[in-house]
Amino acid sequence: MPAIPLHPRPLAPSSPSSASNPLPSLLHTPSGLALLELQGDIRFPPAASQSSTEVGKLVFPLYNPVLNGEGDTKWMKKVYFYVDQNQRMAGEVKKLGKPFAVVRKREITEDGDVVMGDGEAGGVREELEIVEIVKYKIIFALRPEPVGGGVEETV
Amino acid sequence: MATQQKDGGVPFAVTHELQSFRLLELPPEIVELLEAPNPPQLSIKSLPPAASGAANPKPAYAVLCTPNKSFQIRQVQTSNSVFVTQPSYEAHGNEIPTPATCAIASCSTTLELYPADASAVAHLGDVLPVYDIVGGEVDTTENGRSKGDVLADIPLSNAQCEQGWNEIIAFELSRSSYRPSVNILRQVWSSINAAALAENIKLDSQFLGYDLAELVAEESYPAPLTMAILRHLAKSEQDTKGQWSCLDRRRTVSFVGRILLQARQTSSEYRVADFIEEWKDSLPEAWRSEAQLKVIEGTYELPSSTTIRAKSIPAATTETATAKPTAAKGKWHERFAKTRKK
Repeated sequence: MPAIPLHPRPLAPSSPSSASNPLPSLLHTPSGLALLELQGDIRFPPAASQSSTEVGKLVFPLYNPVLNGEGDTKWMKKVYFYVDQNQRMAGEVKKLGKPFAVVRKREITEDGDVVMGDGEAGGVREELEIVEIVKYKIIFALRPEPVGGGVEETV
Repeated sequence: MATQQKDGGVPFAVTHELQSFRLLELPPEIVELLEAPNPPQLSIKSLPPAASGAANPKPAYAVLCTPNKSFQIRQVQTSNSVFVTQPSYEAHGNEIPTPATCAIASCSTTLELYPADASAVAHLGDVLPVYDIVGGEVDTTENGRSKGDVLADIPLSNAQCEQGWNEIIAFELSRSSYRPSVNILRQVWSSINAAALAENIKLDSQFLGYDLAELVAEESYPAPLTMAILRHLAKSEQDTKGQWSCLDRRRTVSFVGRILLQARQTSSEYRVADFIEEWKDSLPEAWRSEAQLKVIEGTYELPSSTTIRAKSIPAATTETATAKPTAAKGKWHERFAKTRKK
């Protein structure tokens, strides 16, 4: 098996910088990528008209850099994830013991043209690249709890 | 209270076309390597798939290689969903789009790295044909594979492969690659020693290695093999790429002692006194006094008070390589059991 190259930097740095990053600055990375882990899975009905579905809101109740300064880390202990109207997950922001590299395929055709994405065309040799190194994650390790007036199980 | 916070939060969306990302857990030394101004290219190598019907197929595994280290990659199943998110704008109906965070990939497994410090020697021993000359006739099988082809299939870093290549004294000859038998090492060394004597070359000071190899080649020993031996015996600080050579005296004396013993492996009786005498005779005149048993400590045994033989070399390296995947399986089961208890 020939060795598969793993490039330490992305060929075309993803530039989502057009969207400002609403997460606390500690979670910012150059590419904007972040990690969120939760128990279970998110299921939602497909909506054909849109490219994405908003499933909830992340709240950092203790995050207040204006009041507590950027160096404050106590806010990391509490994060809420409101799903739909009736459920809430409590979690925290954790520094990863070992950071994660986010790796994706970099595809290059034989004539040297760069093709991004999942093209499976012939004559393509596989190369990988590290898009980002992420050092923190938002983790919701517990099951959702019901909140608000109407208590009903929806997930 | 809760409702207010909910309104002020960061909208979280999931894209309908998730991308394929893999999460690779990085040990500190790789993080350091990657965050340096000019990070080296890494690579993922694996053993070639075993030919179907192979008697004893090795377990398949992949390794991540830095220029000089290698790490075994293990896939770990996560019971949780891990999303990779990026900033986006979410708009609903006619509302003004608001900054949001959007999951663009979901990973159910992560990749963990464990140092793989196996030696390339065992792998090379398996794949390289032995080159021997018996009764003046070359006795070997061409494999038609260059050094590059062979090393590409060894799941270790370039530096580890090079080290193993040098340790086993492998060489390339007419588009094939080989490892020498002890017998041919003994023959070529004797020819090197004779040529050095004839040309008045001091082997432990700088000399033109290729010129010596040419002289040895007159006795039909391939020059690349002679060069491989000179490289194997060179002083460690020596630039082995150039045409100059300079042997490490202590290393060479030990090497000669060991190959003499191993070449005699088949015949039963080898008197210590005879061995030492033959050893001294196989060295440049000025080195004779250094042929002492302590130089080859650990590589010989004394079956009786007057005889000596080479210690058989245990094939330990292959065992450690196969033991690791088993450990990985055990760990996976532990994790599985944990999630089931929940």
